[in-house]
Amino acid sequence: FILKAEAAIMVRAAEPWPEKATLYQPLKEDQILLSDSASSLAVQTFLRMCGLPVQVSCCANAEYMSPSGKVPFIHVGNQVVSELGPIVQFIKAKGHSLSDGLDDVQRAEMKAYMELVNNMLLTAELYIQWCDDYTATEISRPRYSSPYSWPLNHILAYQKQWEVRRKMNAIGWSGKNLEQVYEDVSQCCQALSQRLGTQPYFFNKQPTELDALVFGHLFTILTTQLTNDELAEKVKSYTNLLSFCHRIEQTYFKEHDRESQSGSSRHSKGSLP
Amino acid sequence: MGTVHARSLDPLPMQGPELGVQADDMDLGEPEHEEKQEVLENKDVVVQHVHIDGLGRTKEDILTYEIADVFRAKSLIDVMKKSHEARQRLLRMGIFRHVEVVIDTAEGANALPNGLDVTFEVKELRRMTGSYNTMVGNNEGSMVLGLKLPNVFGRAEKLTFQFSYGTKETSYGLSFFKPQPGHFERNFSINLYKVTGQFPWSSLRETDRGVSTEFSFPIWRTNHTLKWEGVWRELGCLARTASFAVREESGQSLKSSLSHAMVIDTRNSTILPRKGALLKINQELAGYTGGDVSFLREDFEIQLNKTLFWDSVLSTSLWGGMLLPLGDKPSCIADRFYLGGPTSVRGFSMYSIGPQSEGDYLGGEAYWAGGLHLYTPLPFRPGRGGFGDLFRTHFFLNAGNLCNLNYGEGPRAHLSKLAECIRWSYGAGIVLRLGNIARLELNYCIPMGVQSGDRICDGVQFGAGIRFL
Repeated sequence: FILKAEAAIMVRAAEPWPEKATLYQPLKEDQILLSDSASSLAVQTFLRMCGLPVQVSCCANAEYMSPSGKVPFIHVGNQVVSELGPIVQFIKAKGHSLSDGLDDVQRAEMKAYMELVNNMLLTAELYIQWCDDYTATEISRPRYSSPYSWPLNHILAYQKQWEVRRKMNAIGWSGKNLEQVYEDVSQCCQALSQRLGTQPYFFNKQPTELDALVFGHLFTILTTQLTNDELAEKVKSYTNLLSFCHRIEQTYFKEHDRESQSGSSRHSKGSLP
Repeated sequence: MGTVHARSLDPLPMQGPELGVQADDMDLGEPEHEEKQEVLENKDVVVQHVHIDGLGRTKEDILTYEIADVFRAKSLIDVMKKSHEARQRLLRMGIFRHVEVVIDTAEGANALPNGLDVTFEVKELRRMTGSYNTMVGNNEGSMVLGLKLPNVFGRAEKLTFQFSYGTKETSYGLSFFKPQPGHFERNFSINLYKVTGQFPWSSLRETDRGVSTEFSFPIWRTNHTLKWEGVWRELGCLARTASFAVREESGQSLKSSLSHAMVIDTRNSTILPRKGALLKINQELAGYTGGDVSFLREDFEIQLNKTLFWDSVLSTSLWGGMLLPLGDKPSCIADRFYLGGPTSVRGFSMYSIGPQSEGDYLGGEAYWAGGLHLYTPLPFRPGRGGFGDLFRTHFFLNAGNLCNLNYGEGPRAHLSKLAECIRWSYGAGIVLRLGNIARLELNYCIPMGVQSGDRICDGVQFGAGIRFL
């Protein structure tokens, strides 16, 4: 009797996934930066893990189209949802979930590790992009402002830089220097590596949203050309994380057109080393 | 209207065949008055000096052009007329609070017997005037500060600054205006502004920060304006429920455009004219001086007025426009035309005609709209001669269409597309004139030719604005 009721709820919530579901991100060739690319890859990996097909559409104004101001966002039927957290909730309401098999303790652990990645890895990526003068001048500002004409390109690039630096100030990262940030990344990777151990995924046999998030960030770090290779080297020193990335790439991305994923952008180096 | 003082001429030796008055006749009573009038009209005079008293920071060289005509007057009536015209010209420069004219006989060593001196007594405007208002609107309040500096450097330059600080938005405008000395109609101005607008019919919010320079000059009877404008436009959704088509237009863009406008206006008034015609043609080319958007836009406005029997006026107007995107990017929602509402095709909701997506109106690249009005005084003419004259009854017929054209086809296809699915409406109402700038209307409208997707407002509709179809 209870099972029937639950099934009824599932059927009502599980509206069919439309064919025209689209994911929006900034232009891959010239505009997208490391942090956005990582977030976008995390969402794409999650959707592939759920078996939900989605088209990737690149728009210069994706950041402004997003309801929360952050990329990526998905347009499914009539609804627009941005960022991995809300997207996971949205997919769950549609009846698909990767973390159903976890018990409460594991679920809390998963949330904690996802917070770690967001607070450490993502913040470190933003710091390197916008607070390191050399990277900001050589890579971030030119890429961010590439779709716009003079003088709007300079105005928008500096506006974004000030915004990120203010945020770094607010969370106390402005006092750090680049070496400390690399150290933080290393420690974060160490924690992830220890949790992963020799398992194929973080929660043994089945991938969860944590796997998608970690893959998104680590794969992007490994395949993105920055001013130097230090960040990639920090990740490479943990071999189980490296093989974790290989595994997910092989399982979820190799059978589709490889070009469209790790493909031919100047920013990305293509495949894993 | 000011006053023109003319002191009487002293008795002078009479000359000329038309004057048959002897000197001793000047002491008579009534006949003396008539003879003096005859003297004034027919006497040849020479304007010897023209003075302007009361100048402070104004430079004299710009004023000499305005008063030069007075020297050419030949008789006293002519002097009075030309002085009055000169006074109007001095006032229109916007640098004097008031101007008074005094005409007197010439004095001094080289005074001719029939010489006159004309003196303009002027009072300059204060160096700086300010204003402070608070405005309360729909769920928002704002504080508006205005500063005006007339005649900044002494040659009728004007600097104005307006700043509005509100609970939702902030906007400002700074403007500098300079006329050419001697030719006040030739002028240029530079403007710097930030304006924000909310358009609920499209669920769109727009913030424009821009700078523009414009030159105005008359050619024969037409007035031309050349303008360059650079605008940083920020578009966003007004609500989370905005349609995806509007969401796709969100973002930042830079528009740099050159535009030219020509106006011929022979109407006797801007609001509720009784006679005359108006022709306005405007074109704008964007993208060739930088920026992200590239288009060519044309629009025109024609209005004809004719007074009929019994103080009623028949007025017809026609508006139209076309937007041609150049290059491969589609047109932007902020550049397209909109139609409908109490100020254009009445009977429809504000800008709620034409292409739309999920209830948000996206505007169109081509449109036309026409109106036929009959204005009559209020029935039974209440308040005649006073307040009642501000009101008029009007009967109207409006029609129009807004659509996107497929530019690959020829003009015949464009015309047929604009001619199909015409929306039109008719009705009657009351118009109230507000000064010389705006008018209020309260109409009963019956919309017809409504297409699916249009939003109508049949029945009573209220409108306020400065430009009506």
